[in-house]
Amino acid sequence: MALSGMRGLSVFISDVRNCQNKEQERVRVDKELANIRTRFKNQRGLTAYEKKKYVWKMLYIYMLGYDVDFGHMETVALISAPKYAEKQVGYIVTSCLLNENHDFLRLVINTVRNDIIGRNETFQCLALTMVGNVGGREFSESLAPDVQKLLISNSCRPLVRKKAALCLLRLYRKNPDVVNVEGWSQQMVQLLDERDLGVLTAVMSLLVALVASNPDGYTNCLSKCVYILERLTKSQDILQEYTYYGIPSPWLQVKTMRVLQYFPVIEDSTIRKGLFDVLHRILVGTDVVKNVNKNNASHAVLFEAIALVMHLDADKDLMSQCVALLGKFVAVREPNIRYLGLENMTRMLLVADVSESIKKHQAHIITSLKDPDISIRRRSLDLLYGMCDISNAKDIVEELLQYLTTADFAIREELALKAAILAEKFAPNLAWYVEVILQLIEKAGDFVSDDIWYRVVQFVTNNDDLQAFAAAKAREYLDKPAVHETMVKVAGYLLGEYSHLLARRPGCSPKEVFHIVHDKFPTVTTPTKAILLSAYVKILMHTQPLDQELQVQVEEVFKRCENVVDAEVQQRAVEYITLSRKGSSMVDIMAEMPKFPERQSALIKKAEDTEGESTEMSATKLRQQQNSMALVVADPGPANGGLPPPSEQLALPEPPPPSVETAAIPKAYVNGTSSPHPSASTNGDLLGDLLAPLAIEAPPVTTPPPPPSQVDDPGDPLALALYDQQVNQIKPIGSIEDWFRALSLKDSGVLYEDPYIQIGIKSDWREAQAKVVLFLGNKHTASLVNVRVLILPAPHLKMQFSQVPDTIPPRAQVQVPVEVVCLSASRETAVLDFSYTTSTLPVSVKLRLPTLMNKFLQPAPISASDFVAHWRALVGPPTKLQDVVRGVRPMPVSDMGDLFNSLHIGVAPGLDPNVNNIVAATTFYSQAGATLCLVRVETDPSDRTQMRLTVASQDPNATYELKEFIKEQVIDIPVAPVPAPAPSPAAWGLTGPAAALVGLI
Amino acid sequence: MILAALVMNTQGKPRITKFYVPLGVEKQQEAIRTIYSALSQRPEDSCSFVETEDIFGPDTKLVYKHFATLYFIFVIDSSESELGMLDLIQVFVETLDRCFKNVCELDIVYNFNKVHTILDEIVMGGQVVETNSAEVLKAVQDIWKLERVGDLNVPSVRGIGSYRSKS
Repeated sequence: MALSGMRGLSVFISDVRNCQNKEQERVRVDKELANIRTRFKNQRGLTAYEKKKYVWKMLYIYMLGYDVDFGHMETVALISAPKYAEKQVGYIVTSCLLNENHDFLRLVINTVRNDIIGRNETFQCLALTMVGNVGGREFSESLAPDVQKLLISNSCRPLVRKKAALCLLRLYRKNPDVVNVEGWSQQMVQLLDERDLGVLTAVMSLLVALVASNPDGYTNCLSKCVYILERLTKSQDILQEYTYYGIPSPWLQVKTMRVLQYFPVIEDSTIRKGLFDVLHRILVGTDVVKNVNKNNASHAVLFEAIALVMHLDADKDLMSQCVALLGKFVAVREPNIRYLGLENMTRMLLVADVSESIKKHQAHIITSLKDPDISIRRRSLDLLYGMCDISNAKDIVEELLQYLTTADFAIREELALKAAILAEKFAPNLAWYVEVILQLIEKAGDFVSDDIWYRVVQFVTNNDDLQAFAAAKAREYLDKPAVHETMVKVAGYLLGEYSHLLARRPGCSPKEVFHIVHDKFPTVTTPTKAILLSAYVKILMHTQPLDQELQVQVEEVFKRCENVVDAEVQQRAVEYITLSRKGSSMVDIMAEMPKFPERQSALIKKAEDTEGESTEMSATKLRQQQNSMALVVADPGPANGGLPPPSEQLALPEPPPPSVETAAIPKAYVNGTSSPHPSASTNGDLLGDLLAPLAIEAPPVTTPPPPPSQVDDPGDPLALALYDQQVNQIKPIGSIEDWFRALSLKDSGVLYEDPYIQIGIKSDWREAQAKVVLFLGNKHTASLVNVRVLILPAPHLKMQFSQVPDTIPPRAQVQVPVEVVCLSASRETAVLDFSYTTSTLPVSVKLRLPTLMNKFLQPAPISASDFVAHWRALVGPPTKLQDVVRGVRPMPVSDMGDLFNSLHIGVAPGLDPNVNNIVAATTFYSQAGATLCLVRVETDPSDRTQMRLTVASQDPNATYELKEFIKEQVIDIPVAPVPAPAPSPAAWGLTGPAAALVGLI
Repeated sequence: MILAALVMNTQGKPRITKFYVPLGVEKQQEAIRTIYSALSQRPEDSCSFVETEDIFGPDTKLVYKHFATLYFIFVIDSSESELGMLDLIQVFVETLDRCFKNVCELDIVYNFNKVHTILDEIVMGGQVVETNSAEVLKAVQDIWKLERVGDLNVPSVRGIGSYRSKS
């Protein structure tokens, strides 16, 4: 056994190892620290060897978990020592003990710099490594140019250069300006020609970071990266040492494919084709072999290839190959491959429309949910969560519930939350939903937040058919031996409201219900007690004429609570005693709770919010988010018609029409109490808000009643006021203008969204034709009826679309494919006239469809001579038109070039020698054929608000329209004021109870 | 990025710890304890990945390999390939094996300083420096040669000149 080479160090390590317990170890370590401290204090006579030994000992002690708060100076000083051995110790230990903000580091910047620029390569390596590990901003400022020089130097050995590359990466992270220098991207291109694979791997790591923060700045590296990948996969001139178990540097392959995922979509068709060939080769050429290490390496490459395919929007073939591979992986035994199979399948769900093929593997995925390995269980849970939709929700949620009973603690919370969200999002019917949540509370009550049971109450209240069922279920659960407090809350609430519907069933008389609920009373916390008190008074109220015996018992409970310290309980007790003596007029006051207005589930909202918080997002991730916005519900029901009858769906909760029934609203509010409830009123989240109108959580009531309206029924002024305000509530949640603008440059995204519906668009533009699919997603828990979709095509477009069903079931999505053919050039867009009715409110919106002219354009690569020839051939109007455009949004010429490119008007850089001019060419496609259009923009550097625009093409109409279109895009139109966000639903909850309370008590 | 490289034994004693993100000594020890308790509970035939969101934040996981009495662990974020890291651990271990001829835990305990040198040749600032075991070995042996030269010549100044000319 080789020893450290330092006897003192070895002896110390032995001593520590021989310690019987932590206490002895501490004593030994303290003794050593004291010794080192003394020796360092009196440096005279301390040899270099001893210094080195002590510093190593310090590192060892530090690793054991003891804070070493001295000796840093001595450590750092070793860096300046002339001898290699000391210097090396100094550098290594410094990078372990100190962090980038440590003051002492500043003291050695000069020494470090001298080592870096010196000619001793071993010193250079040490310095680069230390800076690469702990270098901070100051290092970045003073060392970056020197490190850059080493990286691109021809005379340095690869050993130094690869370290320089990674050191530069660290410095770049601390201060991005260090590489934001003119021509650096060109340097990167040259560095990619490197033959040494070690250096190339390090350079690739650097490139990943650079591209991640500036994808457009390094597009010139794209073709090189693809070439490197080709070379590696074909094993062309790869040194034997760089093959790992027969595979040419898997790390470099992986890193290169990683870089490619940070670039936006690759446009160049030759590069794309080359890349697809490589990917294809990897996908089909990877076999499972016996050797574990070889398997690992080849699959590392394979998984990265799959990730890249997902990013590239590859064709169907490659995509389905990936799905097939992943399907194979989720079924294998080898745990690493299975884990990654599950993980990548989850990612795949988000980018591509593959949910149908993934569903085939549901059985295997569920098996993994029961794997002994928690990592695999987590992945499986995530995947099941992601692939769940209305068609398989029942199976998946029931699987999750079943697993919940045996699941270990580490995963229960997540499991419960996911089951609750899925049950709500995709419930085939509401009774099932209620049952799932009650089971959830029974099995994992600790993890079922109040949000979840509030939601149950909301659904039950809004659905008359559900009330008896829910009350009966609640009654059943209270019979079980150990009942979770959350169950007591929800059961107490439901039985209070609806147990009278069960009165004729055995064991469900008001008295029996009261007793079974009251059994739990002594063991529950105060807030629950308050809920139970309300339940008692309601149970009592429903016995008409009042059951004397029950009244005595209930009053006794109230009396006992009259002096409770908790203000809420006390107040309820006092008020309910008084109310219960009011005889039959109590019925009005204690009437059933009114229906709730429709709200977004806070649970789902929370889940959505947490999804978008990742910091360094790859382009793939960004795209996933955009896509997931476009697809509200992954319900692949038949596109048009053929949807299941609404009665089977969550169609039940329809708020009552504003007629007789709503008269109950003002009265019903009374059964709350007027005490302020800080938790509900200060709680900004949607749930507190959702519960605001719930009597038990009612916010303080201070507003005066609204003025009576001119409705015939004078007893019902509030109901109307409420509904009036609700009409105003249906506003888009966002700006229609912003959505449209985003879609004019993108092919998919949101067109419109309000609290009830989301309209997403996915489109595919092929020359003069386009396939546009509108996704109408009902976000609501009731059906949307009278759905009408009309497309008013512009005269230059031929549009065809199929019939849209009249009704969209709750939580369902309807797809409307639209075929578009462009007949001639025009700036006009088609308009979607869309209307629907929710509950009682008709909504109608007119939306511009992003069938803009630029969608029928494709950038035309053109050589200088061709351009000039065409340009000269077209002389003057009407084929060549020129305008001076004023009021241009001021922007640098490069930004304008980017704008043109994003509009598919391909800028030809360098064609015009004047840097203030832009020359661009594009092909306009219409049914008549392709027209080459040439554009020239001359800007005035002294006044960026004006420019001269010349457009030329064979087709006078296209020339004119394109010119006008470009003008519209560059002119600074004052942005229409963004519609005010819909008023918070809480706002109207406040007005109701007040009026009623004032009137009735 | 690699956030940390750790070697600990199956009793949870750290043998090599190297953090590439700044972390106080308390936090480091807490991380080591949490990692150990996660790893020690894992059944055989588990996969080599453990999600570590509660220690290192979202999107991080540890990739580990179990050899005899030791765990070799890399903590990574989502920008690294999991299997690639597993390969890198293999490279690390193979290199140790070549350096110490059938490496065992004691070699690492008593030579933790040398192991640091080796690790620095493989990972730097959280990025892979070199994946070729032979290349790593060569670099490390050069360093050790220089070190010995330095030690033998502790009192003499001549030593410096002698290795400088060698390099």
